[in-house]
Amino acid sequence: MKKGIVTIVVLAVIALGLFSWGKNAYNSLVKGEEGVEAAWAQVENVYQRRADLIPNLVATVKGYAEHESSTLQAVIEARAKATQTKIDPANLSAEEIAKFQAAQGELSQALGRLLVTVEQYPDLKANQNFLELQAQLEGTENRITVERQKFNETAQAYNTQVRTFPQNIIASLFDFEKKGYFKAAEGAETAPKVEF
Amino acid sequence: MMAKIRHLFLLLFVLATVLPTAAIPPKPSPQRLVNDFAGLFTAGQVDELERKLVAFDDSTSNQITVVTVNDLEGRAAAEYADRIGIEWGVGSKAYNNGIVVLVKPKTSDSGGQATIQVGYGLEGAIPDIYASRIIRNDMIPHFQENDYYGGVVQACENLMALASGEISEPRSRDDDDDPFESLLAMLVILFLILLIIKIIRHSGGNGGGGSGTGGRDRHIWVGPIGGSSWGGSSRGSSWGGGFGGGFGGGFGGFGGGSFGGGGASGSW
Repeated sequence: MKKGIVTIVVLAVIALGLFSWGKNAYNSLVKGEEGVEAAWAQVENVYQRRADLIPNLVATVKGYAEHESSTLQAVIEARAKATQTKIDPANLSAEEIAKFQAAQGELSQALGRLLVTVEQYPDLKANQNFLELQAQLEGTENRITVERQKFNETAQAYNTQVRTFPQNIIASLFDFEKKGYFKAAEGAETAPKVEF
Repeated sequence: MMAKIRHLFLLLFVLATVLPTAAIPPKPSPQRLVNDFAGLFTAGQVDELERKLVAFDDSTSNQITVVTVNDLEGRAAAEYADRIGIEWGVGSKAYNNGIVVLVKPKTSDSGGQATIQVGYGLEGAIPDIYASRIIRNDMIPHFQENDYYGGVVQACENLMALASGEISEPRSRDDDDDPFESLLAMLVILFLILLIIKIIRHSGGNGGGGSGTGGRDRHIWVGPIGGSSWGGSSRGSSWGGGFGGGFGGGFGGFGGGSFGGGGASGSW
């Protein structure tokens, strides 16, 4: 009789311990995932900021460099494509992020080409409006670098949680998936350098 | 020979990929706002600028840190400054109101670079365009004449004017997590406990127990002593806080602010 009670108490303690461990592990995974999604929102914000600057930039350049219509057209098209490539924040897999990065990378390249051709137009380079757009664009590219890095750091911390034992048991039980990363610059992805 | 060269290249490659994350100068200790690693200022200039920036931090809680380095370790100036801002935690955690002014002087074999990086909370007060103008109009003309101090001071004054328009919260030092402060608090608590024990010893078994258990036995006195020492502890820590805040009037430390890449850069 007494032995039975002891067994029940021991089992109850074990169950309680397991429950509280599981609860903590689950909650910290949820928190981690929320963190990754918040970091992703910041990444989208700064890319959107860049997309918002482009129409103004194109309009300013157009006034001075009519011969560059094909370069300008390429920027407009790349912008359209980049803004269409949206990811569901609930599915930040490596493939989705690579797709997003590729679309934005094309826009970076098109912008880079535009800024190189601009070098031939001294009047444009002296234009106050253009100078300020350049400063904004430069700041935006820098924001993109920072937010991407922050996203990678957040995602890495979360992925570590998802994969380390014994938390990975809870992670696989409740379908917490590993998140993708932004890949480091492969030449093409480097932000266009804006020199004064 | 070939293998050796290959190994060397491999090592260089590994270093090149590993180093950049570790290349930011560590947070200065004791913490300072002016960190002249490149040695561009005289000691007097460092003190003067430090005083100005500390006073600004005290009166508005905006933290401007000036850093000079001779080498950006292959990074863009803006990125280097952002890492400093994030890793040192310039600005307060609540407002993210830090600014990093980074200067890499011109040398015989490399150009000069300067950047102003603005914390999230001040991006509205100091848009990229303003930062860019400060670099072009205040800093670079001075830097070109080797007047690094003049350029930095003028830039800081303009940054202060812009930043104080946005966030102007006199600093309260209560929430600062100063290890010295907590040590002091602990000493005060210890002192109080000793004092209480002494008083109790003196009054023998007659003194009333504050916690209401009353005096029953000599052994149970431990209880009331524990109880009154708790009362002392909260008083002790508030005293410690007062002491900590009053010391020297130096820089209170970076507050854990974050940066998102706002700001501008320039080169000459």
